[in-house]
Amino acid sequence: MSVTFSEIRDKVRAAEPLTLEDGVALFQHRNLMELGALANEVRERLHGDRTYFNRNLHINATNVCEASCRFCSFARLQPGDKGAYTMTLEEAWGRLRARVDAEDPITEIHIVNGLHPGLPFAYYTDLLAGLKKIQPSIHLKAFTAVEIFYFSQKFGMSIEAVLQALRAAGLDSLPGGGAEIFAARVRKKICDDKSDADQWLEVHRVAHRLGMRSNCTMLYGHIETVEERVDHMLRLRSLQEETGGFQTFIPLAFHPENNALMKLPAPTGVEDLRTYAVARLLLHNIPHIKAYWIMLGVKTAQTALWFGADDLDGTVQEERIYHMAGADTPQVMHPTEIVRIIQNAGRTPVERDTLYNVVAEGDALLPQKPFRRDVRRRTLEVVS
Amino acid sequence: MSLDPRVTAALPVDAGQSLADLDLFALGRQAAAARDQRLGRRGSFVRARQLAADGTWRGPRDAAESYVDETDLDAAGGLEGARRTGVNALVAARISPAAHAAADAGLRVIVRVPFKLGESDAERLQRLAELDAAPFAIWGALPSPGGEPYGLDTLRLFALCRLSLPRVAHLLSDVGALGPRLAQMAFGFGADELFAPIVAERALRLGANAHNPSLTRKEAATLIRGAGLVPAERLGGGALEEVTA
Repeated sequence: MSVTFSEIRDKVRAAEPLTLEDGVALFQHRNLMELGALANEVRERLHGDRTYFNRNLHINATNVCEASCRFCSFARLQPGDKGAYTMTLEEAWGRLRARVDAEDPITEIHIVNGLHPGLPFAYYTDLLAGLKKIQPSIHLKAFTAVEIFYFSQKFGMSIEAVLQALRAAGLDSLPGGGAEIFAARVRKKICDDKSDADQWLEVHRVAHRLGMRSNCTMLYGHIETVEERVDHMLRLRSLQEETGGFQTFIPLAFHPENNALMKLPAPTGVEDLRTYAVARLLLHNIPHIKAYWIMLGVKTAQTALWFGADDLDGTVQEERIYHMAGADTPQVMHPTEIVRIIQNAGRTPVERDTLYNVVAEGDALLPQKPFRRDVRRRTLEVVS
Repeated sequence: MSLDPRVTAALPVDAGQSLADLDLFALGRQAAAARDQRLGRRGSFVRARQLAADGTWRGPRDAAESYVDETDLDAAGGLEGARRTGVNALVAARISPAAHAAADAGLRVIVRVPFKLGESDAERLQRLAELDAAPFAIWGALPSPGGEPYGLDTLRLFALCRLSLPRVAHLLSDVGALGPRLAQMAFGFGADELFAPIVAERALRLGANAHNPSLTRKEAATLIRGAGLVPAERLGGGALEEVTA
């Protein structure tokens, strides 16, 4: 006999980890309000009304990529292909200089790129070192596990050696991209020429062992089954049990424009909310669930703040990956607008840094503070 | 501001209580239950065409419904002129003499419920009370945001519409104004019909077409089914035909 919702609710309230069967049952539960209310219970138990955002800048330094993921609208296979680009280091650094000149108090740069076959390792270390030179206090959250694994293969280095070298150049933490769906069946069909699930998890395991924090993601709403979504989340939960290094889980809604899967429908709003709610309930040991407004759209992201999410990401600026996949959200959102969205949701906005240290809250949130040039880089404690 | 007692009686809230204090999920559940009690667990859509101000039609020739927006009514030759061309429904901006006349003439009248950010709860409830007290039959209410709407604000408004408009049977979710994601979520908060152009083939939403709100019959049914309701197509004469998977 399949598990009932009330049995799952009892387990959630007793803080018992949910099983694969429980997760599938939650995805199949018809009453979205009931599901949302339970996820919200957990969200409020963890964070109350507090809802986080940060001030960040995205840099996608190149879209040239050896991998041919069928869901991707961003990548170009060769440097000379139409739409292909690679920033010079000066161009990439210039993105930060422009923010500094504008006295925009960003605290984080998020860097994700294609797997460029022609760039030397020094491009990446110089990129980080140059950004740190411009703004020593800036937190560099850079390179997905797929990129790190690619560097280790391409440059003949161990994962640890890659991470150590990038860290020495200024890397602070890893973003969560590239996870897609872990199930081998799905990866074979949508992304069979990049790191597999075990390799993705190993990169994060090593990063956590070195004392770095990271995020994790799941690309949903394409060809995966509900069972494969739950399996994906449980594998993340398992690594988190081992290392405790994940900060945030970010469900990423598939966008079907300009890619090889464009015949598939996009996930619907109800599916988005259901996925967020199930994630909050399954991933009891990952502190935060992020509603990435760039990908979900502002309206859905705000609604997700009542279905398990407690973070809206940040001001972003210059996001390219999802806009090339048809995202019709703006490329930047002013902190005032983020605060308004959170307050309109009946939540309490908290500006955070990448590691969830509070930057500002309450009356200190707005107006903007001047750019902080004197903040020292934080050293993380080693976990596990 | 004192509220119509019928409004507060219909809501799980005292007149002085802020909507922000309400449990979103309880409000959604009550609104959905009110819809189910009245109409069953069905969500509908209709293949409609619109008479534009320049006299042209937008939508399929064999549409089940032909409507005109009140703002285009004069250009269309007034109510009589529009009726002669086959119009059988009016989308009105407010409770107006034209809407009243259309209802008296047997047209299906849909009235927009304007809303925007920053309005007080009392303002909205009062607006809904006035709508429910209209001296003619309103077939449906169509929440219409002024500017880009927020998600939760919109969903709460849908629930309030369902709970405080006992005389208005239908609550329409506008795909063009809300986007397909939020329009679908509104079914969890009391909506029962999608308001969108229904087309034969899906258009690629690229470039100038990026915000095309049209849906295919299959997409409309998928959105409704995904919201947990049984999709049904409203045919000429108001009959409903369930859409099977």
